[in-house]
Amino acid sequence: MTKQTFLHDKHIALGARMVDFAGWNMPVQYSSIIDEHKTVREAAGIFDVSHMGEIIVKGEDSLPFLNKLVPQDIAKLVDKKAVYCQMTNKNGGIIDDLIIYKLEEQKYLVIANASRIDDDLNWMVRNKIGFDVTIVNESHNFSLLAVQGPKACDLIRSLGVNVLPEFFMIKREELFYINVWISRTGYTGEDGVEILVRNEFSEYLWDKLLEAGKSFGIKPIGLGARDTLRLEASLHLYGNDLDEDTTPVEAGLSWSVSKTKTEDYNGKSVIEEQLKNGGRKKLIGLKMLDKGIARHGYDVYYENEKIGVITSGGISPCRGDNIALAYIKPLDNLTVGSTIQVMIREKLHNAEIVKRPFVTKHNKV
Amino acid sequence: MNESMLCTKTHEYVLEIDKNKYEVGITDYAIEQLGDIVFVELPENGSEFAKNEVFATIESVKAASEIYMPISGKVIEINEEIADSPELLNDENYENKWFVKIESSADQVEFADLMDYSDYKEEVE
Repeated sequence: MTKQTFLHDKHIALGARMVDFAGWNMPVQYSSIIDEHKTVREAAGIFDVSHMGEIIVKGEDSLPFLNKLVPQDIAKLVDKKAVYCQMTNKNGGIIDDLIIYKLEEQKYLVIANASRIDDDLNWMVRNKIGFDVTIVNESHNFSLLAVQGPKACDLIRSLGVNVLPEFFMIKREELFYINVWISRTGYTGEDGVEILVRNEFSEYLWDKLLEAGKSFGIKPIGLGARDTLRLEASLHLYGNDLDEDTTPVEAGLSWSVSKTKTEDYNGKSVIEEQLKNGGRKKLIGLKMLDKGIARHGYDVYYENEKIGVITSGGISPCRGDNIALAYIKPLDNLTVGSTIQVMIREKLHNAEIVKRPFVTKHNKV
Repeated sequence: MNESMLCTKTHEYVLEIDKNKYEVGITDYAIEQLGDIVFVELPENGSEFAKNEVFATIESVKAASEIYMPISGKVIEINEEIADSPELLNDENYENKWFVKIESSADQVEFADLMDYSDYKEEVE
């Protein structure tokens, strides 16, 4: 059965077009994807991302347990600090990409993709033998609102939060007399926050933020613009750009693999070998030279030979061209600036390999 | 939308503009459902299509959709304006939303499964 967030009625009232995504009925757009996209780049947007999962890992062994699950070094986290990482299988393949927050000693919050919560929990439970940890799925208790854009932090400050959390930090705060967790994170490439709130207060908070945000130009933003925004920022989407047959190294995420962690973790031997010698494939950014939009699943060619596949693609509202992410065979002569082809409706279209991200990020990565 | 046009279940329309000459496009409902239209690929002038054959592709931000010929015919004119500026299709004040004009000798059999615009509206609403 399709699930609804606690904000479902709000989306309908705002005239949203609803679609099913990862088992949830979610707003894909309210006005126009392109308008919503530009609103987030120029002012501020509010997103209902309550479908995302929240998992608490706590107990004496929570640190070594998490360090076994991900290639990042969780030990380096100070209280309230977060890190982007991936949970890997024995072959280094990505089970899910996560943000892990250290809330306090021996207590961590894991933010997971909606489509992966069940697999994540299964994998965690399978790996917990020998560790003194408790894993609690809190996903059904919390709503998650993202406020993103150049005006997003000004809006939150105007609500009496004088000191916002630093980038990739989380803070306990009060908004409109409601206890929330505010983190300086997002999925748009813009500065902004994500607000974790108990379900019973989510409608109230949504209304209040939209009302207070009016003078900042805030608009509700659907999953359609969320996708074009994250693509411009070259942020991976699980199921498109990441899966269990792709390692962090192949996904261009070597920066999120600890080079100093001494503990063993799932997939370590494969990942360390790939750090030295490269993966079986590599993620590249493309900009279309010929007219046409590269989409998920389209084949990529070089010298009439299939060398890879598009995993995400579409228009870039900010650049005004068409961009894509693709996995290709690691060929030495193909670098930024090289021209390759994308098969679109049985015709080859030229595309150039370009640097990622496609649009300069305005958050502080 | 012109009330005398005939529509398909897949949201194309055909409108007679002269003897054996027709305008072909997609319905206002289809445009609204697609959202922001960012790309339109039209066939070459002179190309011929059977009924239900794909003759054009339209892309919204989210996805690519194939457009089918409501009746058989030969393309005699393409709408270069929408090929150059696909966003015009989303502009309520822009009227020339046809995709191609065709010459057709389609008989009644080919028209049999097409709906009046009013029936079509009822079907989709």
